[in-house]
Amino acid sequence: MQEEWIRKTTEEKAELAKKLRFYDCNVWLGRPEGFPLAEELCPTSLKEVLDKRDVTGGLVSHWRGKTISAQDGNESVLQGLKGRGEDLFATWTALPLFPPETGPVPGPPGIPKEVRAVRIFPKSHHFPMTDWCIGSLCEWLIERHMPLFIWHTELDWPAVYEIAKKFPELAIVIETQVQKILYHTRSVFLLMRDCPNTLLETSNLAGPGFVDYVAQEFGPERLIFGSFLPVNDPLVAMGMILDAEIPQDQKEMIAGGNLRRLISEVRI
Amino acid sequence: MSSPFIVDAHLHVGHVGSFFAPLIGEKDLLNAMDNGGISHSICMDHRTVFEGAEAGLETLRDLFQASGRRVYYLGTFDPRRAAGCLNALKQARDWPGFVGLKLHPSIHGVRADDPGYDQAWRFAADHDLAIMSHSWSASSTNPVQILSTPERFEVHIRKYPQVRFVLGHSGGRGSGRQQAIRLANQYPHVHMDFAGDIYDYRLLEKLVESVPVEKILYGSDFPWMDPGSNISRVLLAEIEDSAKSLILRGNAIRTYRLGVS
Repeated sequence: MQEEWIRKTTEEKAELAKKLRFYDCNVWLGRPEGFPLAEELCPTSLKEVLDKRDVTGGLVSHWRGKTISAQDGNESVLQGLKGRGEDLFATWTALPLFPPETGPVPGPPGIPKEVRAVRIFPKSHHFPMTDWCIGSLCEWLIERHMPLFIWHTELDWPAVYEIAKKFPELAIVIETQVQKILYHTRSVFLLMRDCPNTLLETSNLAGPGFVDYVAQEFGPERLIFGSFLPVNDPLVAMGMILDAEIPQDQKEMIAGGNLRRLISEVRI
Repeated sequence: MSSPFIVDAHLHVGHVGSFFAPLIGEKDLLNAMDNGGISHSICMDHRTVFEGAEAGLETLRDLFQASGRRVYYLGTFDPRRAAGCLNALKQARDWPGFVGLKLHPSIHGVRADDPGYDQAWRFAADHDLAIMSHSWSASSTNPVQILSTPERFEVHIRKYPQVRFVLGHSGGRGSGRQQAIRLANQYPHVHMDFAGDIYDYRLLEKLVESVPVEKILYGSDFPWMDPGSNISRVLLAEIEDSAKSLILRGNAIRTYRLGVS
């Protein structure tokens, strides 16, 4: 009887996962840092790995953008995505626009059409997340309707609050990596209440009822599905959306609709 | 989800100062179990995890009854308060729902191979109880985890082969995992649960390839984690349905000798 329940429940979950058309904002090529058991995801196996977990595509980053340099990561992710299909786009690593730096970084004169989001690493790359340092980058992103991603471990909550207030047209996606965001829920939920332009990525939004809570308190449009593949298994973040006690149209938004909309609005 | 049958082998109840969670109390726990298809669980309240069983196991005894005998419980042994904890454990050993001991070397600041734990292992051996301990990998961001690396337990594991022992969190996300796998393969009485955010890609597939499936227990670590975050990954993993059944239920019932069929 248990195996019958397992078979039936598994089928139901798999069917719902297909229906929700998961679209992932948090896929990484290159050698993961800080997770010794995680294996590198190679460009050649990217589509196969995503297909196996019923992920239809999304935004892809490269670890080199954090571990070596923005330029190395940006170049590598474009190379990795070449010929991999129309459902995959790049997230580039950004730096302050001044002083201007050589190599492929977001900013004038432009950015390749494959890039639909940027991420900053203020702590790792040694710059403050303040208006006087990244204000011009924020304006540049707003002109292009391009979202800004940031790991919660790379930010200071007062600083992100100030930036979100100063640039209300900038979509800021707070990512729940590379450690549990659980210990920062008192900060992140207040930020989301006060700053409607902040969104939350879901790969480690794993506390009990968190998906339901955010959807109900701040709206389902504020959640963006992310897996943190290949460090994390997409099935974890998918499971939290599959099991959430919210209407199916809201699940569809969180699983992929919100990210597809963000990507489609980018003006290159 | 109907027909609950899953056993959550690792969860907690009670507020924690270090974070906000919208669901955290006893009613929330029972609702989460119902929603997740969980029939039974193994629970530790935060007060006794931090202060040891001497802080009072009555809350857990009452929860076992109030839950309709669904929420079984462990008593935490803190070697810094050994006498008080042992007294509380002796009192609880005949209480319904009490199924074993919990250790947490990282919280208690006493490394797992310290001789001070011998009393706990002896107690478990004398009373046919299981022990579950927090285990993790050495971590630069959380240095106290070095007190709970799996190989530190081996001195006790070797001495007490009659004690069913569960490495909570399967040794974490680094070198501790390999040690946990080694111990589970080497000793028939060593098991591992994957409670918490051990969210590694293909973890279930890899564990099933690495240790006998009878050694793997599902756990959530509620209210730190949503039970659902670890259930879907089992159900959707590329492993046999018979393995899923053991991981989600059978192994916990056998290891903790729960009085359910």
